[in-house]
Amino acid sequence: MSELTRRGFLRTGSAALAGAVAAGGLSGCASTKGETQPTGKRRVVVIGGGWGGATAAKYVRIGDPSIEVVLLEPNRQFISCPFSNLVLAGLRNIESLSFGYEGLRKRGVQVRHEMALAVEPDTKRVRLASGYLSYDRLIVSPGVDFQWELVEGLPAAKETVLHAWKAGPQTVQLARQIQAMPDGGVFVLTVPPVAYRCPPGPYERISLVAWYLKANKPRSKLIVLDANPNIVSKTALFREAWKAYPNIDYRATNRVVAVDTSTREVRTEFDRVKYDVLNLIPPQRAGQIAVDAGLTGADNRWCEVNHVTYESVKQPRIHVIGDATTGLPVPKSGNVANNMGKISAIAAVALLGDRPVQLLAPGNTCYSWVSNTEAIAVVNAYKIEGGKVVQIEQRLTPAQNASVAARAEGWTQSIWTDVIG
Amino acid sequence: MSTIRRLAVVVLAGFAIVLPAAPARAQGPASAPGPFDSPLAKVITCAACHGVNGNSRSDAMPIIAGMDAAYFKKQVQAYAGGARPSPEMGPYSKQILDIGVDEVAAFFAGQRMEPTPVKVDPAAVERGRVAAAACVACHGPAGKADPAKRTPALAGQAPGYLRDQIRLFKQDARNPGEAALAAVKAVMKTVPDERIPDIAAYYSSLR
Repeated sequence: MSELTRRGFLRTGSAALAGAVAAGGLSGCASTKGETQPTGKRRVVVIGGGWGGATAAKYVRIGDPSIEVVLLEPNRQFISCPFSNLVLAGLRNIESLSFGYEGLRKRGVQVRHEMALAVEPDTKRVRLASGYLSYDRLIVSPGVDFQWELVEGLPAAKETVLHAWKAGPQTVQLARQIQAMPDGGVFVLTVPPVAYRCPPGPYERISLVAWYLKANKPRSKLIVLDANPNIVSKTALFREAWKAYPNIDYRATNRVVAVDTSTREVRTEFDRVKYDVLNLIPPQRAGQIAVDAGLTGADNRWCEVNHVTYESVKQPRIHVIGDATTGLPVPKSGNVANNMGKISAIAAVALLGDRPVQLLAPGNTCYSWVSNTEAIAVVNAYKIEGGKVVQIEQRLTPAQNASVAARAEGWTQSIWTDVIG
Repeated sequence: MSTIRRLAVVVLAGFAIVLPAAPARAQGPASAPGPFDSPLAKVITCAACHGVNGNSRSDAMPIIAGMDAAYFKKQVQAYAGGARPSPEMGPYSKQILDIGVDEVAAFFAGQRMEPTPVKVDPAAVERGRVAAAACVACHGPAGKADPAKRTPALAGQAPGYLRDQIRLFKQDARNPGEAALAAVKAVMKTVPDERIPDIAAYYSSLR
């Protein structure tokens, strides 16, 4: 089928669909809302404007400016999760991590601050409150959602028990709570079982809050209830850093099972722990839209993908990227999501243009702050072997220091530009 | 058959073998090659630290745009072999070798280097100018690259990166024991630690 014929086919197919919508046959959507059709162009729709999705939208436009790209992201600002733990320690403000989407708009990405309500793989459409959006290829970067129901009492308390695991208003609220806590108060942080977004993130947070408390509230302590049997990432480096923080009471294999805000206590399988300030990071799974679209596996948690194209193994023409994916030997990090955004965009452009797909592997560079001046890092390089992503090497910084912290700052400057600039 | 076309066929053939479950592609003529049917696709992991096309804008991460290809390749090999210890470039150098170091080196050599926007203290620059007198023998008065001497461009490089590298040379932690670098390290040993940021500021200020 030639390009022209294929486009003709798309138009015909969409017209038939529009007729069905007008007849009220699909969802009762009024015909005036109708559906937005590609205007003779090929269209890629991207769901989610975080590290993966924003990058993917930008790189599809770089790869082929003739492709129409629509990015669906309800939030008006991109707020970086990496570096947001510094806000909790009063070392950064949230504005310094917040960026608008003008950069993507300048590149011709149609950024729409709307929620994708549903995906219809059979008809290649995304449902919005305002109607339908058809696609030739869909890139889903849904991030994570929380499994509130796994902690008793949490579904009813999810507005007041803070996770601060999606940088934004909760980050600022938690910072205020920590600052307002009296000296001698107890801060309790709970770490969810793997897999969750940003493996070293809870431990960076523990380090920075411990640094803040040591400097500002020396009689306070920080109790860590970790569902995992040990520190999940950069284990030895965090252990070394924590020698400076005797205010940390780290308890491994302590999964939180319940929370009671009236008595200000959390319950683990063995224990009850009182708190003054609580940061409960709930168990996680892929963002809701991925679950609803049938992109998750038998566990109903994560999405398995082709390691070269990031196409879902469950649905054709749909790519899934970022923290929602599983089966690759990569951490759920912003750097990896950014790389997946590029690789999926390059693959989508190639597939839409009937060109060969290149074999490209991601990388992971992940810095963690352990004090106001020092950081540590883990770096992973990968290759494609037998159609799968395979790790070449993982390396850690030998010790914490200010030089690594300076490179962490450099990394944010470069990668934020790459994602959103 | 052009080289690009032939490469494409080879890649596609490999793809078909290793990925039998790969999605079927529509039949018909392929579209014209785009920007990513080039080495640009191979450098996607570099931008996270080194910026757009290798032009890092930060203090600590080096600018690699416009870097001499032979110098670039030597550094990648030094990182991979451990002569240049780096937690970041140790793993990534091996990824570059897997992808094809010559193509990656040629890509960055072909990019226009944009000098660092990081501002340095004019007084530090002035102190650095005096302290750098001994550096001129190899790096010239302008700090430009000299492929014949295998010296990289220092002019306009990120000051924090230059500072870190001078320290590594002084400590003999970069390419220890390499005869070709004995002279530079001997010079660095004569530089007091407090002058190191000044020399870095001076070279980063050159255009």
